[in-house]
Amino acid sequence: MATGGVNLSKEFFELLKAIGESKSKQEEDRIIAKEVVRLKQKLETPQSGGMGSPAATNQLLTSKKRAKEFLVRLLYVEMLGHDGSFGYIKAVEMAASSSLFHKRTGYLVCSACLSPEHEFRFMLVNQMQRDLQSSNVLEICGGVLAATALITEDMVPAVSGEVMKLIAHDSDTVRKKVIIALHRFHQLAPETVTREDLVEKLRKVLCDRDPSVMGSSLNVIEALAAEDATVFKDLIPSLVSILKQIGEHRLPSDYDYHRVPAPWIQMKIVRILGIVGKADAAASSGMYEILMDCMTKADVGVNAGYAVVYECVKTIATIYPNPKLLDAAGEAISRFIRSRSHNLKYLGVTGLAMIVEGNPQYAAQHQLVVMDCLEDPDETLQRKTLDLLYRMTNPVNVEFITERILEFLRGSTDLFLKNVLTKRVCSVAERYAPNNAWYIRTITQLFEVSGDMVKQEVAQNLMTLIAEGTGDSEEADMLLRQNAVELYVGLLRDKPGTATKLPRILLETIAWVLGEYGYLSAVCTLDDVLKELCALASVKARLPNSTRKFMLSAVFKLVSQAGTCPPHAATVIDEYTRSKDTDLQQRCLEFQTLLTTAPQILSQVFPVDASAEDLAVDPNLSFLNGYVQQAIANGARPYEKPEDDDDDDDFMDESATNKGSGFKMTPYEKPQTPAAAMAAMRGMGGATPSMPGVSLPPGAGYGASTAPVQANTGAPGAVQLNTRNVANVWGKPQAAAAAPAPPPPAATSNAFASPGASSFGASSTGTNPYLAAAGMSSAPAPPPEPPKTAEQLEKERKAAALFGGMIPGAAPPPPAPASAMSAAAARAAASGATPVAAPAPPPPPAPAPAVEIDLLDMSAWDTPAPAPPPAAAGIDIFAAAPLPAAAPAAPPQVETVSDDEEEAPAGGLAAPAAPAPVPPPNPIDNLDPFAAEGLLGDVQDAPLASLSMGTQKFEFNGVPLGPLEITTAQFGQQWGSCPAVAPLEVQSSKVTTLNAFMDVCSNVGAYKVESIVSTNEGICAGMIGGTHVVLIHGKVSPGGMGAKLNVTVKSTDPSVTGPLAMYMQTLLR
Amino acid sequence: MIRFFLLQNRQGKTRLSKWYVPPQSRGTHSVEAEKTRIEAEVHRFVTARDKKYTNFIEYNNYKLIYRRYAGLFFTIAVDVNDNELSYLETIHLFVELLDSYFSNVCELDIVFNFNKVYSILDEFMMAGEIEETSKREILDRVKDMEKME
Repeated sequence: MATGGVNLSKEFFELLKAIGESKSKQEEDRIIAKEVVRLKQKLETPQSGGMGSPAATNQLLTSKKRAKEFLVRLLYVEMLGHDGSFGYIKAVEMAASSSLFHKRTGYLVCSACLSPEHEFRFMLVNQMQRDLQSSNVLEICGGVLAATALITEDMVPAVSGEVMKLIAHDSDTVRKKVIIALHRFHQLAPETVTREDLVEKLRKVLCDRDPSVMGSSLNVIEALAAEDATVFKDLIPSLVSILKQIGEHRLPSDYDYHRVPAPWIQMKIVRILGIVGKADAAASSGMYEILMDCMTKADVGVNAGYAVVYECVKTIATIYPNPKLLDAAGEAISRFIRSRSHNLKYLGVTGLAMIVEGNPQYAAQHQLVVMDCLEDPDETLQRKTLDLLYRMTNPVNVEFITERILEFLRGSTDLFLKNVLTKRVCSVAERYAPNNAWYIRTITQLFEVSGDMVKQEVAQNLMTLIAEGTGDSEEADMLLRQNAVELYVGLLRDKPGTATKLPRILLETIAWVLGEYGYLSAVCTLDDVLKELCALASVKARLPNSTRKFMLSAVFKLVSQAGTCPPHAATVIDEYTRSKDTDLQQRCLEFQTLLTTAPQILSQVFPVDASAEDLAVDPNLSFLNGYVQQAIANGARPYEKPEDDDDDDDFMDESATNKGSGFKMTPYEKPQTPAAAMAAMRGMGGATPSMPGVSLPPGAGYGASTAPVQANTGAPGAVQLNTRNVANVWGKPQAAAAAPAPPPPAATSNAFASPGASSFGASSTGTNPYLAAAGMSSAPAPPPEPPKTAEQLEKERKAAALFGGMIPGAAPPPPAPASAMSAAAARAAASGATPVAAPAPPPPPAPAPAVEIDLLDMSAWDTPAPAPPPAAAGIDIFAAAPLPAAAPAAPPQVETVSDDEEEAPAGGLAAPAAPAPVPPPNPIDNLDPFAAEGLLGDVQDAPLASLSMGTQKFEFNGVPLGPLEITTAQFGQQWGSCPAVAPLEVQSSKVTTLNAFMDVCSNVGAYKVESIVSTNEGICAGMIGGTHVVLIHGKVSPGGMGAKLNVTVKSTDPSVTGPLAMYMQTLLR
Repeated sequence: MIRFFLLQNRQGKTRLSKWYVPPQSRGTHSVEAEKTRIEAEVHRFVTARDKKYTNFIEYNNYKLIYRRYAGLFFTIAVDVNDNELSYLETIHLFVELLDSYFSNVCELDIVFNFNKVYSILDEFMMAGEIEETSKREILDRVKDMEKME
């Protein structure tokens, strides 16, 4: 039937011919457009010669034939991508034809052309129902086929009943179609055709006497088992038995394909076994034998056989592991991977990726092939190899592998793939980063390559890492920060003028890091950094405003650190005071105001390196009490809480909500309390383009700017937690990674010492690869006899970098060309692949010194204990700041020292509200050029005026503190029962003796209980409003310029302690 | 599961296309337009590949398995975790079916009888699953139907 042209009209034949000969898409389109016009005409002209004509029947026949051809042509038009919707109705008509062949054509066109929501589909339901009830097997088949292709969710109930009945039909052709159709219905409408219905039918159909019915039921079993395998576990013996029979050629030979008996059915069964045997030792044990058997028998050297073998490998990798089977799978994989066929190589690499995670030893022998695959021009193979690399990543080869993935990312344009790889780099880098500097470099590169595909959290983690460091040593952290700064300055300088083309996420990170730590740069001055940032911020390129905010915040921080505002910065800031973005505008204006009117507090608004400090938040806003009292005294109406205020619950702190309204808060999701919100801000630290919250009460004018920040960072709370984890991960693997390098005994002890070592236990426990490698001078190394080319050696070196940590027993090949395989060389090679050393492939010469350096490095990494809880006290960080500040112990910072934020809620906040900047002790002021201009004096007038009330007694809510005359013993009793504590540490030049201190207490309104001269301690007691007891304990340690005062204020009312402590602080100072 | 089955010639003319899972319509693109777009993209991918390369392409969140016979490309799109080699052989089995049916099939047979090719495919696969793998069984069914014409 060479052309089959006999059945075609001349017209159609010509059309096909013309299309076949057309030279271009345009020509083809023209031909089809003509065809569409012709078909439309046909549809409109009546086709039959008229009623009563003698040749009516004959004409009817031809018209039907023509109608069929019309549809086929329509299908052809659609297939070439043109619209044929004008003729769909004809297809629907045709489906109702009594002629089976026409009916099939009608259905075919409908299923190929009608979109899922096309209303014509409903017109076909009736016809399908009729066909399903037909006595003709072929009609039934046509109906079932149409039903699977055309049915939509709401049509399922209309046909499912009929189809269900057909499962017991006499014809095997019907039965095999019906089971698939039922599955389709189940997918569309699980409530109509339930899983239970289907499972019950499947059990019968699996044992059908006809192999093709059994075969098609396997499809459905597979799909259902993938959702939930439990109900199929008891089918294992049946499946095993079927597989066995197939292996014995008990099926009709029609099912053989290239001498392999029923390969598709075999594969399906093996696959189902994999699904039901997954992570189930008992279920798995029942299939070990048959899998081995199946794999052996299928290995007959044809693709169909390999396909079965490959399916077995996949199943072996998923079920409960069996060493013998794994060996067999490993063997099969080796044969695939060594095959010349790319397809088989691909399967080998895929298979290897499946079993390598738990069994790295199988990868050992394939180092070079894997390297070849990685270089292969076929992208599919490359991708699979990258996938394999990802799965075999360990602390040793992480650098090499990450580099490869990044390289691949650079060249790739496939978004889907880029997304996957980006996630993988993040995950690998977080899990196995050999050190923090590497992590920062890698993530920065990832930002460059993948840009905004990287999750915001990653940037957040990176910034937190830089801000908090590892906590191991302040010096190391500073070095880390400096490295980051140099890296980013370098990045900006490498791309003059085009830096704004960098991805947003990278720009924001750069801006934040430079703003926080720009002063650390050794290659350029603070001013240079500032210039770079200004240049960046002033570029007119289309940058998102959020990015600009990062940049401007950085500029603000640098300006306040420099203490002077250079003209370029001033221009940029000024420019953005006219920004269309109101938030940006506000920030700039506020900064300008601060700069011109109160420059001396800039250093507090933008504290140096304080992004990781904890903030104490006073949820009661008690520092406002004085103001409120005053207002009320002036006749203002007191605030009345609205009755219906559940909207505000989010903004209340937990304690307030607990004792406040009667609402039960617990069942709800944990609310974002202000504390958490502030923590988030802290995490963002200076990165928040808003003025850092340190010295500002929540919502005091900056509420507007904090909101977008949170939105920006995603869920900041979660991010924070994350970071902690990440930091831990970094901490431990370092120790672990370092472990293997030193000679054996040290290695083992280290591995045990660090619980984190288990994370890479696969490679380090027992079969420590390096030990094996180091001691293997005489072991049978793989190097082939003939001399190697330079390329080969290069490849081997790469392989060594890659397979470091993977291969127990096999030594990495020698690094240097022509080096004798002496024990020393072998050891050098081994150390070349050790974790910390691993700057990719070590250069051929000089392996020996490398060892030295590595060991040193490792000892440095070895010592530190796992990271302590993140920067608890601000003191630490402050002290380390390389500012002249280091000298005097910085009294103004006292507020941030309050290490007990919950109990001293007012401590952190009230301080800045109160006029903190009592003149010079703040060392930063010395740097302040504005100070010289006398601006300082101006600004101070106001706060000092408010200070004058300091001589009066302390008042709380308008009630003065009165003396409480008690004895020391009574004081002791009360001391224990006072829940609220506010500790205070003040460096004072005014109050230097115990007596002076006691006088201050007395002035405040407290009663002097006792002065203990021997220890320089004193206690006082007072009472407010007859209900709240106030106890004060002070210790005076004279020394240096004045005295250090340690004061503890306790009270029965937590809201009193904070304000009183603040009050005393101002008096004492 | 099979998402679609495509038969294209070297110039990118679709000879047969069967969609078991219709593509998602994207924005203003209708499902039909999306099908056309994907078909064009598939053609670009498969024709650009060297003979030595694997017959597999990772494509979005699924995989393309293709095989070339003279000037015709047969492409099946399957889920990522499906067995590539199995579908490669599925294509071959289909070609063997065509070969038996048309006795020594050539592109012209497919061009002029593409609706028959659909019938054969319908007896081979259904709803994205391979329904029957016995060649005799499939050809018998197709011939049964032809008798009714």
